[in-house]
Amino acid sequence: MNCEVCQLKELEVEHFEIREVLRCILHTIVFHRALGLVRPKVIDLELFDITYVQCGDGELEKKIDEKIEQFISWVEKHPNKKSQVCISFYEVKNKHPSWFTNKTERLYWEQWYINLNVSQQQKVHSGKSHPSKIVVDPGDSLEERSARRAALETSLREVLFQIIKFVNEKKDHVPPISDGVVYFPYEVTIPSSSDSAFGMDMIKRMLQTGGHPTMLS
Amino acid sequence: MASSHGNSTHSESAKTEQIITEFFAKSLHIILECRSPLMSSRNFSGEQALSSPSSSSSSSSSVRPRDKWFNLALGECPAALENLDLWRQSNFEPVVVDVILVKRGLSRTQSLKESSNAYSSDHEEVLSGSEEKIIERWIVQYDTRKPREKGSTSRRTSSNVLHTLYKKSILLLRSLYATARLLPAYKIFRDLNCSGKLRPFTLTHRLLSFVEPFTRKEESEMQRFSFTPVDTSSGRLCLSVLYHSSVSDASSESSTPMSPQFIPDYVGSPLADPLKRFTSLPVSSPSSLPFSRRHSWSYDRYRASPPAYFSPSPTHSEPPAANALQFGPVNLPPQHPDSSSVHKTNNSYDEYYPSPNFTPSPSPSPPVYMHGNHLSNAALLRTESAPVCIPKLNLQPSLPMNDNNRPSRGSKLDMSTGLPNTGVSVEKLIVKDDSKKHYGTKISAVNSSQCSISRSSSRSFLDDFDDSDFPCHFDVEDDDPMYHGSRPESFDKKSHIGDQMDPQAGGTFPIKKSQDAAVGALVHMLKKAPPLRQELSTSTADSTHVSSIRAEHPLDSSHSVLVASKTTADALEELQGFKRMKDCLLSQGGGTCNVAAGIWK
Repeated sequence: MNCEVCQLKELEVEHFEIREVLRCILHTIVFHRALGLVRPKVIDLELFDITYVQCGDGELEKKIDEKIEQFISWVEKHPNKKSQVCISFYEVKNKHPSWFTNKTERLYWEQWYINLNVSQQQKVHSGKSHPSKIVVDPGDSLEERSARRAALETSLREVLFQIIKFVNEKKDHVPPISDGVVYFPYEVTIPSSSDSAFGMDMIKRMLQTGGHPTMLS
Repeated sequence: MASSHGNSTHSESAKTEQIITEFFAKSLHIILECRSPLMSSRNFSGEQALSSPSSSSSSSSSVRPRDKWFNLALGECPAALENLDLWRQSNFEPVVVDVILVKRGLSRTQSLKESSNAYSSDHEEVLSGSEEKIIERWIVQYDTRKPREKGSTSRRTSSNVLHTLYKKSILLLRSLYATARLLPAYKIFRDLNCSGKLRPFTLTHRLLSFVEPFTRKEESEMQRFSFTPVDTSSGRLCLSVLYHSSVSDASSESSTPMSPQFIPDYVGSPLADPLKRFTSLPVSSPSSLPFSRRHSWSYDRYRASPPAYFSPSPTHSEPPAANALQFGPVNLPPQHPDSSSVHKTNNSYDEYYPSPNFTPSPSPSPPVYMHGNHLSNAALLRTESAPVCIPKLNLQPSLPMNDNNRPSRGSKLDMSTGLPNTGVSVEKLIVKDDSKKHYGTKISAVNSSQCSISRSSSRSFLDDFDDSDFPCHFDVEDDDPMYHGSRPESFDKKSHIGDQMDPQAGGTFPIKKSQDAAVGALVHMLKKAPPLRQELSTSTADSTHVSSIRAEHPLDSSHSVLVASKTTADALEELQGFKRMKDCLLSQGGGTCNVAAGIWK
């Protein structure tokens, strides 16, 4: 099985926009990979005039939010960096124990790379308690901010369409649906404390999937 | 209908057929659920998770069997979709859904009902006065032209084939669900659905089994998005959409139920763009004063009956001066009630140089109103209609400026709002005749509430520019209530309006509108300008009464008076002078202008 990789268009986001942008993208991807019975939940973004769909699973929503918070913490420690959030779908295969893995092996069949360029503003708001709080950077003029916001909205829309097109074009690699399973096992990877560690994650994943060169593309 | 005859192909084809049938139904459901306000109002569960109690658990038991198709539980199937099965003869006919934006000419209170009536699978009712536009066209079809690849199929088990078909259909429908909410038409649907306000537009749809081709022009305006077809053993399922990439014109229409119209040129508060050009002058003023007007003289929208400047809206307590001041040139009675006061005002007027610019609409040039601009007068006449009518609200809510109470520019016009407040002052207001009185009433009323007419007479115009609290020219004296009636002399000093209004040979002052008053005040002020004044003083001898702006019909009589006082050529010359001055001021940022000096003298 080949692992399909989709590199999403890079988005320039401000700190306070990360949460909404990531939620939107991650949920859209997962919605297209939650092929079990779902009752879709439609969410309107606050910062942008975009509506996305969640698969309505509370557990999933919580896990994704946790990952997003971790990412935001990482961004706060590593300001003004380009970063990637990777969501991978895998199949669990039982395998003989080997050097790197235990009994089970994850066979990644799809990876999405969300590329973000976070322009760190001085205001870092603790978003934990106010997940949707919007922090406004007073440094920019109104026009600049709204122009940037509009550009980001357009780009975000393009990213969503990119996801939809990818989902449409590549269907063969999607594993069969198992009964009772709502969504395929997935993993959200955020950059870890150091860049090199992130690279290590990549290498580890590569080994797990058998080292398909496509993974690195 | 799985056949147990061991003919796997047969059962496979039957199941394939069933999948295809359900695919049509599901895709229609998805599309109509987010395009037809009527339908979704009956079926909200798909749109809002809260509506379904079991949404979080998503237990299969709570989902109707048919709803489980493609693992996408959308909730109740609207009646139309159920009928779909009946009118569709076969899977080989395409299903075309045209999403139509219906713009209603008039706001209707029964819009919802009508739109519900309009819902129909075969036709839609066209509301009288409404305009329709197809903003989206979805085409779902089962294309059997693809040659069947028997070879490949035979190698795969039928269950695999079916499973793959089903899985791919699921993926396609998921992406359809997401796409439908990303296209522009969704915003309109959401707007209609979620907002309780009545909108001047609605969405309806039309189901067809054939494609009505668009004209080339129409098609060129639309974009296409095609979903990747899903292959089946005997064909492929195709889904595509043609859509207008921008349907914002509909949704950008007024979303506030209250405000009927939008004042395009509302200048707003003085803090707003001081150089804003006032372009929409009512009536004949061909050239919107280039000079930025501080006040929202622009009245078009709100003009109720009297288009003119003054639409006083007595009942309206908002100051927005937008409408009013058109400064009807006409109104300015050439005569000044009191020469001394006039002089005073003149002084201020001088400084106000630019003020002539304010003469808006009716007169192309400020000075024109002085007299004889028949055209402007006529405009005034037209605009200032019915003396008593209380122009609509105008100055409406959307007008930012004016917060009443202040002589700020915007407020001028709002004389009308004050009306109710002034009881006593009204009495005092002048007037030569009933109309004037009426007018005066308005003014005082206005004063009390917000804008004082020609309050700023004593102020220099230039000061006004610098001052964010730029007072309304028409602001009445500081002591609002008394405005005109009570103190004619003070009025003379400050309010040009009264003088002007009157002048026309004691013409009636239709005081009706505060805006008229405001305009009149302005006119009066302008008239007090040195070059103008001379002619005016003679003609304004009469007035002394507040009725500042006589916007109304009195113009007829005053008309002749005004004409007498000044010739068109003089007015034109003054206008040009004012223009030069204005340009000078604009370029110099308010410094004195040499050119102006020349003019004034």
